[in-house]
Amino acid sequence: MKSKPLTLKILDIVSVVLLAVSAYIAIFVAPTEAVMGDVQRVFYFHVGTAWTALLGFVFTASLSVVYLLTKDLKWDRVQVAAIEVSLVFFLITIVLGSIWARPAWNTWWTWDPRLTTAAITELIYIAYFMLRQGIDDPDRRARFGAVYALLGGISAPITFFAIRLFRTIHPVVIGGSNAQAEGNFSMTADMRTAFFFALFTFTVIFIDLFWNRIRLGDLQDKVEQLKLKVTS
Amino acid sequence: MFFQEPIPDTSGYMIAGYVIAFIVMGIYVTSLYLRQRNLNQDMAMLEELDKPVSKVESTEPKPKKPAKTVTKRGRKK
Amino acid sequence: MAVKPIRTHRRVPSPPKGEGEGLKTTGGLSSNNFIKAIAAIVWKDLRAEVRSFELVSAMLVFSLLVILIFNFALELDIKTRQSVTTGVLWATFAFAGTLGLNRSMAIEKDRGCLDGLLLAPVDRSAIYFGKAISNLAFMLIVEVIVLPVYSILYNINLFQPGLLMVILLGSVGYSAVGTLLSAMSVQTRTRDILLPILLFPVVIPVLLAAVKASGGFLEGVDIAEILLPINLLIAYDIIFIAVAFMVFENVVEE
Repeated sequence: MKSKPLTLKILDIVSVVLLAVSAYIAIFVAPTEAVMGDVQRVFYFHVGTAWTALLGFVFTASLSVVYLLTKDLKWDRVQVAAIEVSLVFFLITIVLGSIWARPAWNTWWTWDPRLTTAAITELIYIAYFMLRQGIDDPDRRARFGAVYALLGGISAPITFFAIRLFRTIHPVVIGGSNAQAEGNFSMTADMRTAFFFALFTFTVIFIDLFWNRIRLGDLQDKVEQLKLKVTS
Repeated sequence: MFFQEPIPDTSGYMIAGYVIAFIVMGIYVTSLYLRQRNLNQDMAMLEELDKPVSKVESTEPKPKKPAKTVTKRGRKK
Repeated sequence: MAVKPIRTHRRVPSPPKGEGEGLKTTGGLSSNNFIKAIAAIVWKDLRAEVRSFELVSAMLVFSLLVILIFNFALELDIKTRQSVTTGVLWATFAFAGTLGLNRSMAIEKDRGCLDGLLLAPVDRSAIYFGKAISNLAFMLIVEVIVLPVYSILYNINLFQPGLLMVILLGSVGYSAVGTLLSAMSVQTRTRDILLPILLFPVVIPVLLAAVKASGGFLEGVDIAEILLPINLLIAYDIIFIAVAFMVFENVVEE
């Protein structure tokens, strides 16, 4: 197996450093929010992971189309990597969202558009892997996976807007029209720095994990092929 | 806004949040690493299995068609 | 014009042999063939069902049982009942629907009908539309029976045109996606169990909009408010039927 390209090794290190720095800024540098205190700081990681996972999700849906058009299994491996990493990120998003909700709105869960859609998306991803697990033929597995990811990718945004049209208590931090949304806070300049830095950090981490995961998939594929060759 | 209540101490939640975030990421990275290591081991083992076959073939006297000694491949033929 | 209906669903049906024109020709792509193929499939399913009633009866009994369970689970007094009715209805339809979808596709696969259909010189999507329409038909039949039962049990008049329209739209969306996904799930190892897991997250917009709209109709809410979820339903139906149509080939090819 080819050894790790230098770029990736550097990226690994950069990711770790960025993560540490981002956490430091979020915890120690950003000002404390007045109404809900320190717990607000999870917001930086919460949105960082949410935003990247969401992009990953959209990327995934487009990968479906690419695979179905080209039938090149390489795209299938890329899709699996994207979904897996997005799954992990969304998990963090959901948990952090819940932790934030508890002291802020006195509830562990709010059925607002974003958290709910995140949960549904998470379930779609998990279902994706369960679907793949039940199929042995790699070609069919790839096709079915692509179809399902496509359906999910179209359905989840629709769900989001549907719920949004009906009710929300999710804080709308960057511009928002719903006056009833509690837990709003406007960001000061320092907060904004922490926020965008976290966003940047998680984008980098996503790419790093994504790249690593793709390589893992390629390795897996090679092993499978070698296995076939040796046992035949 | 003159009489501000004291800022509530929610640092416990914050710590829990960050800890969980790091743990989840840590678990994922570890799983990537472990899977990679296992696959590398599988790869090494498979290459071992593959090697003797090609090694034997290359040390044979250049075969013309007849009577190949029984190799793994030969049995297949 | 008559396409000879398949006699019995116990044999593997040969590709629909038309005495008429149409399906004998090699190019199965003209729209006439297409419609005939769809009609043949729907007709085959309906006839098979009329013989055995296995799908509709199972879905029906299951629906009634679900309603029963909800009765005990929710402790519905008269006031709460009003607000919860549409939710209970749609939950019932969603669960019973998976039964029908599962069985319908399983029958196709197990009896080799699916392979037979694939051999026919017919556009793959005709198979999709045929199955989707027959699944829809079964679902509607069950709903048509459940509605009066529910009305009687809970003393609520459910026969309002608006509500019926919502039920129709919702069922169309549900069947459209469900047929596609059941075609996939029936080919996996885990089969039946997998369909609800795949289907429910994707079909949530339907449930959301349908419950909202149904509730609106029952409560006599201003039509402007109901228009939004109805539009969502229509949009969902159109989008997913289109996507399924384009993608179905990938799901059944070998």
